[in-house]
Amino acid sequence: MDYISSLLPFMLEGTVITLKLFFLTLIMVLPLGVFMALARLSKFKPLNGFTQFYIWVFRGTPLLLQLLFIYFGLGTIGINIDRFPAALLAFILNYTAYLAEVYRSGIQSIDQGQFEAADVLGLNRWQTLTRIILPQMIKRVLPPISNEVINLIKDTSLVYAIGISELLRVAKIAAVRDAIFVPFIVAAVFYLIMTAVIQQTFKWLENRYAYYR
Amino acid sequence: MYILKATDVHKKFHHNEVLRGISMQVEKGEVIAIIGPSGSGKSTFLRCLNRLERIDRGSIEIEGEYMVKNGPDGKAVYSNEKDIARMRLKMGMVFQSFNLFPHKSVLENLMMAPLLVNKTDTRKARETAMMYLEKVGLAQNGPNYPFELSGGMQQRVAIARALCMNPDIMCFDEPTSALDPELTGEVLQVMKDLANEHMTMVVTHEIGFAREVADRVIFMDEGLIVEEGHAEDVIIHPRQVRTKEFLGKVLMAR
Repeated sequence: MDYISSLLPFMLEGTVITLKLFFLTLIMVLPLGVFMALARLSKFKPLNGFTQFYIWVFRGTPLLLQLLFIYFGLGTIGINIDRFPAALLAFILNYTAYLAEVYRSGIQSIDQGQFEAADVLGLNRWQTLTRIILPQMIKRVLPPISNEVINLIKDTSLVYAIGISELLRVAKIAAVRDAIFVPFIVAAVFYLIMTAVIQQTFKWLENRYAYYR
Repeated sequence: MYILKATDVHKKFHHNEVLRGISMQVEKGEVIAIIGPSGSGKSTFLRCLNRLERIDRGSIEIEGEYMVKNGPDGKAVYSNEKDIARMRLKMGMVFQSFNLFPHKSVLENLMMAPLLVNKTDTRKARETAMMYLEKVGLAQNGPNYPFELSGGMQQRVAIARALCMNPDIMCFDEPTSALDPELTGEVLQVMKDLANEHMTMVVTHEIGFAREVADRVIFMDEGLIVEEGHAEDVIIHPRQVRTKEFLGKVLMAR
């Protein structure tokens, strides 16, 4: 017990880094994904083509590779980014691609009749999108988005690879130093607490949207 | 005075020619029923009237103004978007599948377009909405969400929603096809009330309504108008063989 409480200050410091990366990524990618999805659905060929290519690249390669590329790879051609901004950039680029596809499927699942009803009532495209389509889309994508968000909290552990002391790296250092497995168990508990909070948040959100069918 | 005039309307979906030269005129206050077998193009034609579908050739005039007409190369050219938007607001549309906004209450469904499009103030929009809800017999249902209502009630809300924009013409695309038989009556009653108030109406796929209410019936088949005239003439004494065949089948089934 004493050993665990001696670990906690470090573990909490690591958790702060993890959460910082998590939240900063999340507030960026939740809206960016929508724009990317709209671009992906655009009839304007160059925009549409670019998004398809973008999504292919960032879903088609490992996040770890993207992280290494942005931190080390860009460094070799003279673009030096600090560890944390580099990690944040990689996560934003990667998760925007994933969320764009989730949002796209959500938008495409909305009945064509909704667009037509808005159209004949005289709503313009922006009004149709913001008042009719996106509000309904959000309800439908909550379950897949919660999946992505849980993945995100766990993926933050990948930044150990560029030497950022997030939760898992801190645990590993302690485990190696003390030749004991306990720090990993503590880390697992920390992750479980965080994912439980995410799950509850999404449960609450789904209930909030349960007022209509 | 024609309020709506379509001339030689042609429409293809890929290589499938759905409309092969439809011309018709609607006078103010006239109630027109378009009937015909499925695939005859009647719904497509109705959707072309307010540009839910674009036509390839021909012209459509609303209250003396061209929404679309043939260019020098014989292909349809549409007016600019601003004028079209203005013209389209003169036409209310009711769909087979209601298409209410499920995330909005009944009252919000009715108030949305007046608020967003006409910039009506909230009090006025609410008054208008309540007036039309009462008219369709749903004065109590303003706070409900669409899923809480029966199909017939939802379709009446959809009619009220279109009326809130104060259209000059109401188009109904198979308004009772998605309803259980016992619910069609309440929707048709609302439509009859509108007809009695001299609303200009174009309605597809409603034989009963055509016989009882329509001033004029148009029978379409394979993208062409086969026969048209007074409701009684077309439905009781059809002249064309295809009209007879079609009516024989539908009226027998009733």
